[in-house]
Amino acid sequence: MGIDDLVIQFLAGLTRAGLLFIVAAGLSLVFGAMRVINLAHGSLFMLGAFVASSVVAVAGGEYGLLPALVVSAIAAAAFGLLIELGVLRRLYGREHLLQLLATFAIVLIVGDLVRLVWGEENLSVTRPKALSGSVDVLGNPFPIYNLFIIGLALAVGGGLWLLMNRTSLGRDIRAAIVDPQMLGGVGVNVSRLFTGVFVLGSGLAGMAGAVAAGSGAVGLGMDVDILVQAFAVTIIGGLGSIPGTLVGACIIGLLDAFGILFVPRLALALIFLAMAIVLAVRPSGLFGLPERA
Amino acid sequence: MIARTARLRWVGWIALLAVAIPAPLVLSELQLFTASRIVIFGLWATSLNLLLGQTGLVSFAHAAFFGVGAYSVGLITLHLGWPAVIGVPLSLLSGAVIAFLMGLVALRAVHLYFSMLTLAISQLLFVIVFTSYDITLGDNGIHGIELPAFLGETSQVYWFVIAVAGLGILALGLVWHSPFGAALQAIRDNRLRASFIGLHVRRYELAAFTLAGMFAALAGSLFTVVNKSAYPGLLDWTQGAVPIFIILIGGMYRFYGPLVGAVAYVVLEEIVTRETLYSNLVLGAIFLVIVLVAPTGITGIAERVTGRLARRGTRTAEAAPPASLAETLDNQLEPISRDIET
Repeated sequence: MGIDDLVIQFLAGLTRAGLLFIVAAGLSLVFGAMRVINLAHGSLFMLGAFVASSVVAVAGGEYGLLPALVVSAIAAAAFGLLIELGVLRRLYGREHLLQLLATFAIVLIVGDLVRLVWGEENLSVTRPKALSGSVDVLGNPFPIYNLFIIGLALAVGGGLWLLMNRTSLGRDIRAAIVDPQMLGGVGVNVSRLFTGVFVLGSGLAGMAGAVAAGSGAVGLGMDVDILVQAFAVTIIGGLGSIPGTLVGACIIGLLDAFGILFVPRLALALIFLAMAIVLAVRPSGLFGLPERA
Repeated sequence: MIARTARLRWVGWIALLAVAIPAPLVLSELQLFTASRIVIFGLWATSLNLLLGQTGLVSFAHAAFFGVGAYSVGLITLHLGWPAVIGVPLSLLSGAVIAFLMGLVALRAVHLYFSMLTLAISQLLFVIVFTSYDITLGDNGIHGIELPAFLGETSQVYWFVIAVAGLGILALGLVWHSPFGAALQAIRDNRLRASFIGLHVRRYELAAFTLAGMFAALAGSLFTVVNKSAYPGLLDWTQGAVPIFIILIGGMYRFYGPLVGAVAYVVLEEIVTRETLYSNLVLGAIFLVIVLVAPTGITGIAERVTGRLARRGTRTAEAAPPASLAETLDNQLEPISRDIET
């Protein structure tokens, strides 16, 4: 195994990290601001992927996936709005357990709804023409689409940074992460802010689903798979911290890529092991604030 | 008052046994199978409720312990050729050991981080079982486990399940109503105050976690005796939501809540899976409605109704406190404890 193989594997890990970052950033934002662990986040991701497959089927393969990114994000955001207004809003201030269970019930519901609408077969989505093919990295081919994923993740990260640090909305979200009651006390409509954060997180999950649709099969079960990995990312990074999510995504993505290379049988176990070790040493994750009581 | 409710409690349990024991005389084989499932899930959920209802710990690892019990039976028959029933008492030991070790790590975190950590470790266990082909046969699972001659008929298996699960539930009941159980409730109601009155909170939580894992493993071992198989899907974290929903349906602030919930859940599940292809859709919708409308579960609703009736009947009679009392207290105390902790 030469240095060129390691470089390719490193890039593959970054690609995985990019996708995980887009998914986990939404999860982390929602948790940070609302203290809601949204188990249905993976379901929104899956919904995005299936919507993307339909958009590509209608719009054709040449450009299909690019509009699908937008349509999937909007569809997931709309569904997220429904969840927030219909379910979560009734459960704020109640026990965490009820919120967890409510979102878990939504996991069950969405899983079957998707099966009802799109069937049980795995679907595949053609990549847009401009993003198919590959570039040469030290003599090995590397898919252009993967570079696109890394670029998109960077763009999302940059956008979120601007949103959080350069806008008044971001300032309110950061305040909500620290103390939502106080934020309400100074006159901000916290419940509307929560709705906005949840819709934003849902939209990111939907867009990530469309991205994932272009790089692999679209199938049932992708909701739980991505959810568990996104959890690992946010927990390692610290719930509520966007830089932490970025670091966590890189750790999990690279661990995944190199784990498959060196210890293929334990690749999946490595992720949970990393998560358990980080939490055992730093119970609030690498960048997380200690849990509010 | 206390003596009367204690006596009532015993009358209730004896009546339950009087119905459960002769059940094979009237039920069909398939119905007996369902009844066994109810008893096993009842034990499983009751063990989890030691954490959830009594200590206030939300653990997603309870499917892992169930799986540990199932594989305790499966592995000794597969590798050692021992009779399957040895695995049943053995599961108490394996469940306790694994739960103790997991608790040591997971209880370093509190609240949601604890929940997520239990999810991570239990999923780690799932992956290990799933990928260790040479030990566990991997995702194929262990099937066709042979039972000794005295468990040859469905009714005999059923009685075996009733006897073992009955003892397990009895043991959990003794824990629930013991001073140790009261200490756990104090921790649930306010961790900080519990530590102020001198409770070593983490040690109590670790003990509760170990006990809960132990009896979840016992339930898992009974599952394998009834179904004659153990497979990795039993350990998956999505399975861990099953006992949580059972507790929710039954009501978490009463010891017998999970048993009521198990009856409702198993019957509901069997009807739904028989009637529709989209069972998760229907079950999910039902769970969602319960969470939104009746989070105190069946026992909570029942006690509110009977409490109201009792008040109407005799003014002096002391009505049972509504099951949501603890919840209300929790909410009132939370801001106070938050102020102290920060």
